Amino acid sequence: MEKPDKILKVENLKIGYSSKKNTDNILFENIRLSGCDGELIALVGKNGVGKSTLLRNITGLQNPLNGEIKYYNKSLKDYYRSDFAKMVSFVSTEIINVNNLKVIDLVSLGRFPHTNWFGKLKSEDILQSEKALQMVGMNGLREKNINEISDGERQRVMIARTLAQNTKFIVLDEPTAFLDLPNKYEIVHLLNRLSKEENKTILFSTHDLNIAIQEADKIWLMLDNEIFEGAPEDLILNDTFNKLFENSNLHFDKIKGDFRLKRKHKEKIGLFGEGARYNWTKKALERLNFTVEKGNEYITNIKIEADDNSCKWVLKSNNKIKYFESIYELSLFLKKQTKF
Amino acid sequence: MQIKKQIIFKWLILVIALIGLFIADIILGSVNIPFKEVLKILFTGQSDHSEYFTIIYHFRIPKALTALFAGFALSVSGLQMQTIFKNPLAGPYVLGISSGASLGVAILVMGISSFTVVSQFGVLGNWTIVIAAWLGSGLILFLILAISTRVKDIMTILILGIMFGSATAAVVNILQYFSNESMLKAFIIWTMGSLGGVTLSQLKVLIPSVFVGLFITFLLIKILNAMLVGENYAKSMGLNVQLSRFLVFFSTSLLAGSITAFCGPIGFIGIAVPHVARILFKTANHKTLLPGTMIIGGIVLLFSDIVSQLPGQEKILPINSITALIGIPVIIWIIIKNKKLAAVS
Repeated sequence: MEKPDKILKVENLKIGYSSKKNTDNILFENIRLSGCDGELIALVGKNGVGKSTLLRNITGLQNPLNGEIKYYNKSLKDYYRSDFAKMVSFVSTEIINVNNLKVIDLVSLGRFPHTNWFGKLKSEDILQSEKALQMVGMNGLREKNINEISDGERQRVMIARTLAQNTKFIVLDEPTAFLDLPNKYEIVHLLNRLSKEENKTILFSTHDLNIAIQEADKIWLMLDNEIFEGAPEDLILNDTFNKLFENSNLHFDKIKGDFRLKRKHKEKIGLFGEGARYNWTKKALERLNFTVEKGNEYITNIKIEADDNSCKWVLKSNNKIKYFESIYELSLFLKKQTKF
Repeated sequence: MQIKKQIIFKWLILVIALIGLFIADIILGSVNIPFKEVLKILFTGQSDHSEYFTIIYHFRIPKALTALFAGFALSVSGLQMQTIFKNPLAGPYVLGISSGASLGVAILVMGISSFTVVSQFGVLGNWTIVIAAWLGSGLILFLILAISTRVKDIMTILILGIMFGSATAAVVNILQYFSNESMLKAFIIWTMGSLGGVTLSQLKVLIPSVFVGLFITFLLIKILNAMLVGENYAKSMGLNVQLSRFLVFFSTSLLAGSITAFCGPIGFIGIAVPHVARILFKTANHKTLLPGTMIIGGIVLLFSDIVSQLPGQEKILPINSITALIGIPVIIWIIIKNKKLAAVS
């Protein structure tokens, strides 16, 4: 099988801040990573591990302490400033807050490396900016001021600016921070779509693992001293994700594809039922630290009795029977019981 | 198209106001000169009354030109500083740039004046004064820039600007204390400099300097637009940030330094005028803001000059007081409107 071309390569990179004293402040060493054509890559790691610094190095905003970053097998530092800007664009965590700056003006700033010294926008540049706004679905906002639109809209406009810059690579630092849940999903989905439809290589850092697992082609997982890369599914199956929160109460549930709190289960409880009601009742019981055993009627157990119109939870304990109308009532009762 | 017509209309009004005020500034003054005579002198360069000719040609025209160019220079330097510091309250006066220029001149006049030609105020003396002012303002600008890369908070930088202003004032005081009578006199005369104190020979230095500063600024329009979104973004779009910053500071020092060198510190024009232009044109694009700011700056300073000479009266009010009274309400309004000021960075 032919191997795909790695158009972005990070080799032996050492990042951090050089200091005037003899010792450099090293954040991370021996970074080896890669990216291919049309890939959406999610950079995941704990706060303060150096994600932003890595992205700043990859976009040339900061110089590495050691090692190399190669685009198309040519080192970043060998590119001319203007050529590099036509290849890699960047969205930082900074929120742009400029009075009277119109959305379309911000987007057409992306044409910066393509225009002449006076910044004159030719019809080609205007066309590209309009198209970029359309691609992110924000053409209705073209005349609005940048500080009059919502956070989600602003993030889309910032992405449109990178599209107007017309680069093969787009790098985004936490594009989903500060967004509400639907916007988080939509932004990452948009990035996924752009990587496929426009054949761009898009790299973004995030804390929203669930979304990253669903949408990214590849994950760069930054642990304390090591960095792993692979398809999200590979990292799940070989237990790499569990290393991310090794010292905390979280563990990664391989089946559900989600992080959960480790619980100390005390008591066993039987549960009868099916479908969504069964699943959510089980979740509630687990939250109350019960170990749920399906269909065990020899211990304290709960039956979900449901017909078309109503639903009851029947608790059977030491031959006593109690009925509950909702999971909330049930959980209130169980909490009281476990106290004594 | 409606919007386009509106914009053309706004430009037209501004240009007419500028020309009108320029002529009004020449007509109005402590000596009443008939309108006809003024026009005759302006267009034919001759007059039957030699004293009218002297007043118009040697006093009023230089003063109106000074007001015009001081308005251009101070407001444009304010616009550049607001963009590069991403700070709506930046300007040559509050950030201590004007004080830096005073310091440069003070050191020149009182520090090294024993062998100076400055006191004679020939063209050579004018050049040395203006160069001293440029160096002084450039020094303060680079100090503030060095600090602003570490400290991002707007208020802190403004307070530092005030500190620099006070520090330079203190140094100037010490210089005054140690200087002899004739040097002191030369310096005091300089500090009292106003729009009216600028002679024709000084204008020969002032106008080219401002012209070069404005020319550089017009070349920097694209760069200033990119700077609006911050240095990281500007850099990621291929801008050479170090070089751009140097060019902006160079032209700012040229503009603010030249005016301060000959007119003394004139406050609040630099902060207020760019905001008026933003309100009028509702844009952040420097292609519009830069010429708009320039023209409004000229209008405001010509107007201040007319007010300060109290037409028909002998007394002249200090120009700095008039610009303060015009500028400060605008600044208060900005502060109140911009409650999230600290978040602007």
